[in-house]
Amino acid sequence: MEKRIVLPGERIADGRINAPNTYYRENGTYTAVIGTLDNENRFVPLETAYKPFVGDTVIGMVLDVRHAGYEVDLNLPEGGFIPTRDTKITLQLGDFVYCKIKSVNEVGDVDLGEVRRLPKGKIIEFPTSKVPRLIGRKSSMINMLKERAGGEIMVGNNGYVWISEKSDIPLLLKAIGIIRAKAHKSGLTDEIARLLER
Amino acid sequence: MGGQNVQLIVDGKRLDGRKPDEMRNIRIEAGVIPEADGSAFIEWGGNKIICGVYGPRECIPRHGANPYKATVKCRYMMSPFASLDEHGRSGPSRRSNELSKVIREVFENLIIAEKFPNTQIDIFIDVLQAEGGTRTASVTAAAVALVNAGIPMKDMVSAVASGKAGDVLLVDLGKEEDNFGQSDMPIAMSHSDKNIQLLQMDGLLTKDEIAQMLDQVEKGCDELNEKQADALKRFYERGEEEKFEW
Repeated sequence: MEKRIVLPGERIADGRINAPNTYYRENGTYTAVIGTLDNENRFVPLETAYKPFVGDTVIGMVLDVRHAGYEVDLNLPEGGFIPTRDTKITLQLGDFVYCKIKSVNEVGDVDLGEVRRLPKGKIIEFPTSKVPRLIGRKSSMINMLKERAGGEIMVGNNGYVWISEKSDIPLLLKAIGIIRAKAHKSGLTDEIARLLER
Repeated sequence: MGGQNVQLIVDGKRLDGRKPDEMRNIRIEAGVIPEADGSAFIEWGGNKIICGVYGPRECIPRHGANPYKATVKCRYMMSPFASLDEHGRSGPSRRSNELSKVIREVFENLIIAEKFPNTQIDIFIDVLQAEGGTRTASVTAAAVALVNAGIPMKDMVSAVASGKAGDVLLVDLGKEEDNFGQSDMPIAMSHSDKNIQLLQMDGLLTKDEIAQMLDQVEKGCDELNEKQADALKRFYERGEEEKFEW
């Protein structure tokens, strides 16, 4: 399948189609960010700024402990909030958490729920537009990474990736770096498999 | 505009040997600052400009935040060593404030800011070396940096100056043509709808001359858009291990 890179302002359809990262003007739908366009006019963005949605699973770090709850860094302009009354676990400053977005209001304030504390590890940033590629079809890529590196990995929709301290961190960082650089190309799973076998 | 004692056009050619409708050599690179959300570097003749984009991020000061859309902020600065002697100091000046404002207004029109309420988007433009036409080069580079940052935009934009010297209409004015020519008119144009996003004018031009120049500028902007697209394609095609070379 042939893909070409298109810039913002490229007309991809006549009339209005409901696709993220596009906008409508003069009876046509136009791209709003850089992305790839294939033969069937499917637009896949290459680079986007993360916008939180209800139901997204996110990874964050506890920034502030308050009486009413915890403030969590989510790689967003504003931190997310975990109300104390909704969670049974107690968290400490600097804890890594894995949670679901319960609500987002119109100015982007995020409330979190279903909180899990993550054990010791490392959090790295990953471009949010490439998160689907890091997870892979039916979690194939992430399962392969977990298996070969011998430890847990968690990926949040917000672009934070948590790696357990028990896994082979240098190898994982290298693999994730390749996924980041070649996310829009085909044959990526094979290349990562070859890297991890060595 | 004292154009009398400087001969800017000799035998139909300009001081640097260009034809009237010829642009200087332009090279654009995307993704040159790893720490920034998006960045670009442009080399346009003797101009060297680096541009970094950060955001959307928390709006500081908080009272500047708009609950309906993101605030776009732009800071244009000329380095103290940027070679134009009258701009030999860094820090805010009348000129850099003006350029920050006009460049900000170009991108306020183009960024789809309603998607990110209560935030700010920062565009930092640093001129490392100047040879005339830095505002047009800045707009061209900032557009690449914004795309590189993944900020939704309605359209691509590029800018080129047009003007008149020695009674000849010129595209992409250099420093001498700008300072001693008869007229100078930088124009920024969005790519797909050809809307004018920025137009400033110095000196005098007739109606016909402006119409002619708009055609030339449109051609120049198309050329620039190809270079912008090429820079971004090269950035997304190159692997992690291949680093950008200065």
